[in-house]
Amino acid sequence: MNPTLRRSGRTARLLPRRGTAVVAAALLVTGLSACGPDISSDAPASGNAVLQASSDEAPKGEITVWDRSGDLYKVFDAAIKKFTAKYPGVTVKHEAVDIDSKLQNTLITGTDVPDGVFLDDAKVGGYVSHLWNLKDVLAPYTKDIAKQKVDVNTVNGGIYGVPFDLDPGLLFYNAKALSAAGIDPNGIKTYDDLLAAAKKYQQFKPSAKPIHLEQNAFNSQLQLEMFASQLGTGLAGPDGKLRLDSPQYHQILTWLDTVRKEGLGTRAEYLKPSDVSALDSADEVFYPWAIWFDFAPQQQLTATKGDWRAMPLPAWTAGGARSGAMGGSSFVIPKDAKNPKLSWLFYRFLMFDQAGYTGVYGPNAVYPGGLNTSIPAYQPAADPAKPLFRPIDAMGGQDVWKTAVEAGREIPGGAPIPAWWSGAVDYLGTDLQKMLDGALTPQQVIDKAGKDIQTNLIDRK
Amino acid sequence: MTTRSVSPATKVFREPAVEPRTRAPRQRRRTLPLRRLLAPYVFVLPFVLVFLAFSVYPLFFTLRLSFTDWHGSGAAHWIGFDNYRYLLTSSGFWSTLGNSGVLWLLIVPAQMVLAVLVAVLLNAIKRLRGFYRVAFVVPFVTPLVAVAQIWIVLFDQDNGAVNAMLGAVGLPPVGWLVTSGWAKPTLALLFLWKTTGFVVLIVLSGLQQIDRGLYEAASLDGAGRMRQLWSITVPLLRRSLMFSLVLQTLAVFQMFAEPYVVTKGGPYTSTTTAGLYLYNHITRADLGTGAANSFLLVIVVMAVSLLFVRLLRAED
Repeated sequence: MNPTLRRSGRTARLLPRRGTAVVAAALLVTGLSACGPDISSDAPASGNAVLQASSDEAPKGEITVWDRSGDLYKVFDAAIKKFTAKYPGVTVKHEAVDIDSKLQNTLITGTDVPDGVFLDDAKVGGYVSHLWNLKDVLAPYTKDIAKQKVDVNTVNGGIYGVPFDLDPGLLFYNAKALSAAGIDPNGIKTYDDLLAAAKKYQQFKPSAKPIHLEQNAFNSQLQLEMFASQLGTGLAGPDGKLRLDSPQYHQILTWLDTVRKEGLGTRAEYLKPSDVSALDSADEVFYPWAIWFDFAPQQQLTATKGDWRAMPLPAWTAGGARSGAMGGSSFVIPKDAKNPKLSWLFYRFLMFDQAGYTGVYGPNAVYPGGLNTSIPAYQPAADPAKPLFRPIDAMGGQDVWKTAVEAGREIPGGAPIPAWWSGAVDYLGTDLQKMLDGALTPQQVIDKAGKDIQTNLIDRK
Repeated sequence: MTTRSVSPATKVFREPAVEPRTRAPRQRRRTLPLRRLLAPYVFVLPFVLVFLAFSVYPLFFTLRLSFTDWHGSGAAHWIGFDNYRYLLTSSGFWSTLGNSGVLWLLIVPAQMVLAVLVAVLLNAIKRLRGFYRVAFVVPFVTPLVAVAQIWIVLFDQDNGAVNAMLGAVGLPPVGWLVTSGWAKPTLALLFLWKTTGFVVLIVLSGLQQIDRGLYEAASLDGAGRMRQLWSITVPLLRRSLMFSLVLQTLAVFQMFAEPYVVTKGGPYTSTTTAGLYLYNHITRADLGTGAANSFLLVIVVMAVSLLFVRLLRAED
C-alpha cells in the first residue's frame, strides 16, 4: 500500500520520525548545554583554598610549568637544571606558552591545567578564584619581600602569587646630550626640576621634545600607575573602591598635561620606530620608565648606545619617594594543578634559595652579565653590595644594579592591583591618550574614566 | 497454483535444497529494510555528532551563558536580560558596531568592484594566466601577523616608507596608525590587500560559468567591451557577488586579528571592531556579557546578510 502523500510531498510516516529526531536532538542539546556552570543565586564565586607545604624529604613527581617564550624562558630553563640537581626526584616539564590566550580557557575547563604559571601582576587578581592562596607557604618569606609585590598579589587577605621581579621606575637620560646642553642630571630632584631641565634642553636644541609621552594606551596607563605607586596610591584601594578622583592622580595628570602643553614631550609608542628614532637623534632625552627600559640601549639604540644612564625618578614633592613600580610578574599555582606542593617547592627554590635566584638573575647563557631588566622582589637577594648582574656596558658601564636596588627600596606599598585593571585600559588608557593629544583636560580624564570604570567594570563584577 | 500441482514425492525431494534458499531471502527481507533505513543515518552520524558538538551545543551553551553573570569560575547567577540591556545602552557597543560599519563601507564596495575588474582581466589574459592567479591569491595565504607587521613598518608616522614617499613629493607626513581619522582607512587597506584575492577567485569561478556565446552574440549586435561587462558579466555574476558580499560582511563584522595586531583597537578605540570588543569582554572573564555580545552580533550580521540576499534576489 502506498503511504498517503501530503501536499508537501512528505509522507505521513516520515513526519513523526522527523519530529522524534528533532525532539531527540533538542533533548540532547539541552542536556549538553546544562554541562556548563551551576546556575544559582547565592553560591559564592570562589573558594579560598590555602596551600600547605609538603614535609616530604625526598619529593618525587612531575610538574608542568608555563612561561612565556623569549629570553626569560631560556633563563628559567637554565635555572630548572639547578633545581633538578637539588631535587633529582622531580621532573619539570617546561613549556613556552602564550599565557594570555591559553590560561583562561585552561582554568575554566580544567583541562591540562599546568602546575605553575608565570603571570603579569596586573592579571593575578582576575584569576584568584582558580588559584591556590599561598599565604601560609609564603609566611616565612613575606617580611623579606618588597611590600609592593606582596600588595599586588594580595586579594581579600589571600596571597595568590609567588613574587618574582621588582620593577622600579627610574629616570633614564641621555648623559652625553645633557652634558652638551650644560644640564647636570644630579640637579633633577623633583618633577618640576625635570620640566625646567627639559625646557633648558629644548632651548639648546629647538627640535627636541625631551620627555617621553607614551602613545600606547596600555603602556601609558602602566606608566601612570608607576607615578601613582610613587605616591603610595593606585587605581583601587584594598577595599576595591576606585581612587582615581584624588589629589595624587590630579597632580600626575596635570604634570603630564603640562609637558604636552609646553611642547616638551615626544608622542611615541615605547620603542616603536618613531620612538627609537627620536631617542637616537637625541631629541628625546628623558625617559621616566621601569628598569626594563635598559633593554633599549642594549638592544635597540645605535647612535646613542652607551650615552644613556639611569637615576632614581624625580620626587613629586621635595623629599618624597624616588621610585614607583611599573609592571612586574609573579608565579601562580592553579587549584586544579596535579602537584601544587611540588610546584611551590620549585618556585620556593627559584625565588628564595640562593642557588635558585642566582640561577635566574646571575650570569647565564642568555645574559652573560646577568639578567638586568628587573631586580629580585626578595630583598635578601637584592643587596646593593652583592650585585647579581654586572655593570651594563651599553649604559656606559653604569652599575644599574645598585641604582635600581636602592630605588626599589623607596617604592611605597599600598597599591593593590584590582582584577579589572587590564579592562580599565579601554577607558583610562584611552582617555589618557586623548589628554596627551589635547582633547581632554586632567579633570575630564578623572571624571570620564572614573565613571566608565565604575559602570563598566566595578559594577559588573 | 504451482504448489498445488507439486507431488508429495517432489516435495520431499526438494525440501533440503529449497529450505536454505527460501530462508535466506526471508532473512534478507527482514534485515535489508532496517539496514536500508539506518544506512543514511549511519552515514551522516559523524557529521551530525560533530555538528552537535561544535556548532549546536556551543550555540545553546552561549545562549544560556548570555543570561548569566558567569566570570569563568564558581556559580553563575541568572540575571535575565541584564547583559543585553547593558550592551544595548552602552556607548561602547554601539561605537564598535559603528566602527565595523564604517570599515564595511570602506572595504566591501571597493572590494567587489576591484574583484570584478581583476577577475575579468585574469579571465581575458592568455599568457602567464596561472602566475597572475597565484599572485592574487598569495596575500590571502600569507600569515596575517606577518602582513600586519609589514603594515606597521610601512605606515609608521616618522619612519614609514609611505610617509617617505609622500615626503619625496613634498607632502607632509600622515599619522596613518596613530590618528583616529586615518587608522580606519589604513586598516581597511590592509584588509583589502589581504582578502581581495579570495573574492577574485569566487568571481573568477562565476565568470567561467558564463556562456561565451552570449558575448559573441552581443558582439555581433555591436556591443562594446564595457557594454558587455555591464550588461552581461555583472548581471550574470550576481550570485557569485552575493555570495562574496555575505562572506565579506561576515568577515568584516568579525574582524579581530587585524586591529588586534596593528592598532590594538586604537587610537581612542577608533579601530575597536565588534569582534575585538567581544574579545575584550572574554579576556576580562566577563563571559556572560561576551556571550550576549556575540548573539547581538549574530543578529546584526544575519539581518545585514539577509537584506543583501533579498535585495539581490529582488533583481533576479
